[in-house]
Amino acid sequence: MTPENSQGDVRNLVTLDGDAIRKATSGMDLAQRIEGRLAYATDQRHLSGLLYGAILRSACAHALITRVDISRALAMPGVHAVIKADDVPGLNRFGIVIRDQPVFCDERVRYEGDAIAAVAADTPEQARDALNAIDVDYQPLPVVSDATLAEQQPALHDSRETHGGSNLLARETLERGDLDDAFSRCAVIVEHHYQTPRQMHAFMETEGGVAIPDGKGGVLFRAGCQSGHRDAEQLADILGVAREQVTVESTATGGAFGGKDELTVQPAAGLLALKTGRPVMIHLDRFESCRTGMKRHPVAVKMTTGCDAGGRMLAHKAEAILDTGAYASLGPAVLENYLDHATAPLYRIEAYRVSGRLVYTNNGVCGAFRGFGGNQATFAVESQLDELARGLGIEPATLRRINLRSPGDAGSRNQTVRWTAPPACVLAAALDSPLWSRPDTDTGRWMTGTGMAMGAQGNGLGDGLPDSGGGRISLSPAGRICVEFGISDYGQNIVESIIRFVCKGVGCRETDVEVVLGRSRGPDSGPTSASRSTVLVHGVLASILPRWMDAVRGHAARVSGHPVKGLEFGPGGMFFDGQQVLSYGELAGSANLDEMAASASQNFPVAPDSGQPVGRYLQLQIATVARVAVDRLTGRVRVTDLHHVTAAGRVIYPPGYLGQIEGAAVMGQGMALTEDMTTHDGCYQADNLDQYLIPTFHDAPVQRVDVLDDTPEDDPYPVRGVGELGIEAVAPAITAAIEVATGVRVRRLPVDPGDLLVEMAAQEQNL
Amino acid sequence: MEPVNNEVTERQAVRVMRPESPRQAVSFAKRFRAPYMAGGTWLQPSCERSRQWPAQLVALNPDWPEFRGIQETEAGLSIGALTTLDELASHPLTELYLPQLNGLIKRVAGPGVRHLGTVGGNLLAGGDLSALALALDTDVTVVGGKGSNRQPLVRWLQDRPAGDLLRSVTVPDCRGWGVSLEKLGYRERFSPTRATVACVHDGYQVQLAVCGEGRPGRLMVTEAMLRDEGIRELTDLEIVVDSELETLGWHDPRLRLAVRRMLESGLMEVTRDA
Amino acid sequence: MSDHYQVPETPAQENISFELNGAAVIRSVPGAGTLLDILRESGQITSARAGCRVGRCGACQVLLDGRAVPSCLVMAWQLPGHHVETVEGLNKDPDFLSVRDALASESALQCGYCTPGFAVSLVAGIRQRRQGSTVDLTESVAGNLCRCTGYGGLRRAIDQLSGPGCPDETDDRGVSLSEKQ
Repeated sequence: MTPENSQGDVRNLVTLDGDAIRKATSGMDLAQRIEGRLAYATDQRHLSGLLYGAILRSACAHALITRVDISRALAMPGVHAVIKADDVPGLNRFGIVIRDQPVFCDERVRYEGDAIAAVAADTPEQARDALNAIDVDYQPLPVVSDATLAEQQPALHDSRETHGGSNLLARETLERGDLDDAFSRCAVIVEHHYQTPRQMHAFMETEGGVAIPDGKGGVLFRAGCQSGHRDAEQLADILGVAREQVTVESTATGGAFGGKDELTVQPAAGLLALKTGRPVMIHLDRFESCRTGMKRHPVAVKMTTGCDAGGRMLAHKAEAILDTGAYASLGPAVLENYLDHATAPLYRIEAYRVSGRLVYTNNGVCGAFRGFGGNQATFAVESQLDELARGLGIEPATLRRINLRSPGDAGSRNQTVRWTAPPACVLAAALDSPLWSRPDTDTGRWMTGTGMAMGAQGNGLGDGLPDSGGGRISLSPAGRICVEFGISDYGQNIVESIIRFVCKGVGCRETDVEVVLGRSRGPDSGPTSASRSTVLVHGVLASILPRWMDAVRGHAARVSGHPVKGLEFGPGGMFFDGQQVLSYGELAGSANLDEMAASASQNFPVAPDSGQPVGRYLQLQIATVARVAVDRLTGRVRVTDLHHVTAAGRVIYPPGYLGQIEGAAVMGQGMALTEDMTTHDGCYQADNLDQYLIPTFHDAPVQRVDVLDDTPEDDPYPVRGVGELGIEAVAPAITAAIEVATGVRVRRLPVDPGDLLVEMAAQEQNL
Repeated sequence: MEPVNNEVTERQAVRVMRPESPRQAVSFAKRFRAPYMAGGTWLQPSCERSRQWPAQLVALNPDWPEFRGIQETEAGLSIGALTTLDELASHPLTELYLPQLNGLIKRVAGPGVRHLGTVGGNLLAGGDLSALALALDTDVTVVGGKGSNRQPLVRWLQDRPAGDLLRSVTVPDCRGWGVSLEKLGYRERFSPTRATVACVHDGYQVQLAVCGEGRPGRLMVTEAMLRDEGIRELTDLEIVVDSELETLGWHDPRLRLAVRRMLESGLMEVTRDA
Repeated sequence: MSDHYQVPETPAQENISFELNGAAVIRSVPGAGTLLDILRESGQITSARAGCRVGRCGACQVLLDGRAVPSCLVMAWQLPGHHVETVEGLNKDPDFLSVRDALASESALQCGYCTPGFAVSLVAGIRQRRQGSTVDLTESVAGNLCRCTGYGGLRRAIDQLSGPGCPDETDDRGVSLSEKQ
């Protein structure tokens, strides 16, 4: 095993720095986005005959609806259509895992964002005015607001969909070994409760898009979304039309992070478009987005962890409750991923039992959010390790070193996993961080401290779920190398990564490549989530590029008269003997384009030997070192520095890799320090960005991202998707640093400065 | 500010009245019970949130004499109510009289909002400037139904006839005073206020004021104790401060603890060279 | 005795004339409507966007008389006599081009929704520093939110724009930001 604290032995460690960034961006055309010329979902105002839609939301968190009267609204100026539940021709339900969410509620509303009706009008203001003229009679029902009590309260959903007609949507337990026996042999046992918040995605562009009827009963959707193909299937069922009649083109989107995984405005817009025969745009304003949109599952967990006198972890137990809100969305998958991470995948533990219950409440709706249950679990697990170390009187790093898995080990669920570097090397590199040697002063206003945590993240949907995707490469009539995938662009630099990969593999230049994403009539690449896009794209391109290049070379030889052997791809066209002999445009104009196209589809990599795959095969690691400063007078916490050591395969596009880690880390910092959409009786207490506070420029720390890459040259899966990795360990790293600075360990996020101050004051008394 | 008028409407239907003079403005405001609009940085978010707009707004004109700008007068520094927060921060007289104000204003709203938001608007919304204004015994000059008058800010905030228009605020000549100003927010910048604390020492006595999640106010009891008995054991001071804050509507004991500590620190800062 | 003034007819919809990107424009709009809505209505301006409508995110940032302001908080009635600049009108301005190139080279954006707003704030900051302000360029973006990038690329771009040879021609060197305060 690689010895620690010795920089020379930690091989292949590279810091992503400014030079690497600037070199990679030099060929990319980013001017369009910077100058505001890229059309987002809600920029499509030029459509002729465009109407504006608005959705009526529930006034109650939980109620029966006894009457919905749209007659007054229909008579209002500018109104072209008003629709409600009985206007849904097909299935009045949607949802990725369970279709339990109504397009329009007919009998019952279960959260204050539930949709009841929708209006299409000439202007957005007229649509809003008409909403005010829709009369709804509510009979309020008791609100299920406490997730820990939800199972004892009347069920929010039909008993067919839940466990025995209660609010328990799903429960799951993962176990291994003899837990009681293992606990009996522990020298130190620590037990604590941890709580993580209902975080909001707060993408800068809110939900929105356009539905355009095609005049033949079908609809084209252009909206901000994450899975065009999957959405098209659901929309066809809602509209009551054949699948081929629905087309989705996912537009460039101003951020998603999981919050646009489910359908948002598309059902209402599509129904209004069919009803009026006109294109309809719906764009939620921020108030409505806060109230109705997806959130992260808040989790309350009790963890009990024990080790022997030598620091070996023997026993680990977790009991978690996840509040999924009013509808299932991806809750069951989040539960699974939570538990997967709760088994402490990086560490060897002799026996464990981690169980979780996913419950319905009237507290909004929770679904996919970067990290997907994993980072909530890692917060608790890493905090437990620090407590164990303290109980044993050893350094937190030492406890980790004793228990970290080795590269050849199976994963925590006995599954085959594939790392890109030994966990011990990741730890060693993190311990070498210059942040540890910053001076900590005891006097002065700010109390500083450095702490760290580790985390793992898998790529892919996992657990043997169908997980495949395809792509296509061709030469366009205009002479561009056209690459098509079904994933969406919501700003994750996937376009640049694809361009970079193609340029490297083909030898062309950036401007020769055109990337087309998110068309439901194009290749189906599966959902843009679960950090799966990069792996999938890389795998598909690796498979089709060679034969595509052969086909193109063949045609180029015929057209140019040069022998195939000497023809090479280059910037702008085909080269022979160092000279360009044919531009891509000329080649496109004079040859059969169909023969210069190649497609492929692949299954997302899963462990080769297993029958039923468990967890995820491709694994990534991160160690985050955090430095904080805590205000002695007020308990306010600032994160001044974050240093991440990542083991996530090869870097294709350095700015993309760096940006994903940095962005995810600041999102995790928000979750740790200021972000929580709290509810009171099912009603959100914040409804805009003046009340829900995300980190500003001045809150963001200085960050350093190191890449530790031991991937062999011939590894079949050299790249990983780093979209979620950066959020994994940042919260426990921050609370570890706060403990070093103040002596107080926070177990409830976001850190409440008032509570922290009270603890700090108590510590002062004890001195 | 809730529309005092019973009539509410939506944004497109609001009628923006443009009075030609301050007295005309006051007349319109009183007759139609319409709120004033200066920068609108407080009014607009409030109305966007509730989706209720007043049927009329009375637009204020920063070109009216004495409504905008900063000048030295016999009574002290006069600051027009329609002076923007950015103008206040960057004015040379601010640097001369209240150099600490710059550091505070940087943490009030964001730079864009500071180009629109005004001193008067901030004070009337109980914003961050309130604490300093109260601690300095600021006077206000108000245009009312019967003409203009000058009175202490603290009195005007308590008993403000509807429709009276704030023209300017006057702070005493505080050059050389010890002034400690601090805002506690939730994040580094652009944050709602948890508490803003102002400690002022004019060479003779200390004046303390707070604003934020509790009501804005002067800590007169604490001041009296300091004046009469000097700085005593911090624990005695803490009890007095804590109960005075609670009386002012600061119900969160953990926030009171933070405010106490900020006050202690501010006190030490302004009395250090006294 | 109260004054009795003649109350002028104040319609809700008014003709508002102002200068936009160097051209005189006149619009018939609600007097209390926002500058943001005026800009977006025409379909010509796409760089200013709605992110929150309460002036808290900076996605709608424009220059009003050279100062960066959230256009969702500027009302139509305030516009006559003033001039508005958006990125569409700044895209040949040398300060904007420096900003654009710095943002691009440091990959200071991902989805790009907030980026024009940042660019406007930075242009205003550079101009102020050229006029003698000693305020750090980072202060100019204190009111712009970004959710994708974690502000890393923006920090590097601002370092570039504040370093020697930078557009505002001051001698300030970009101080390592973690050593501040």
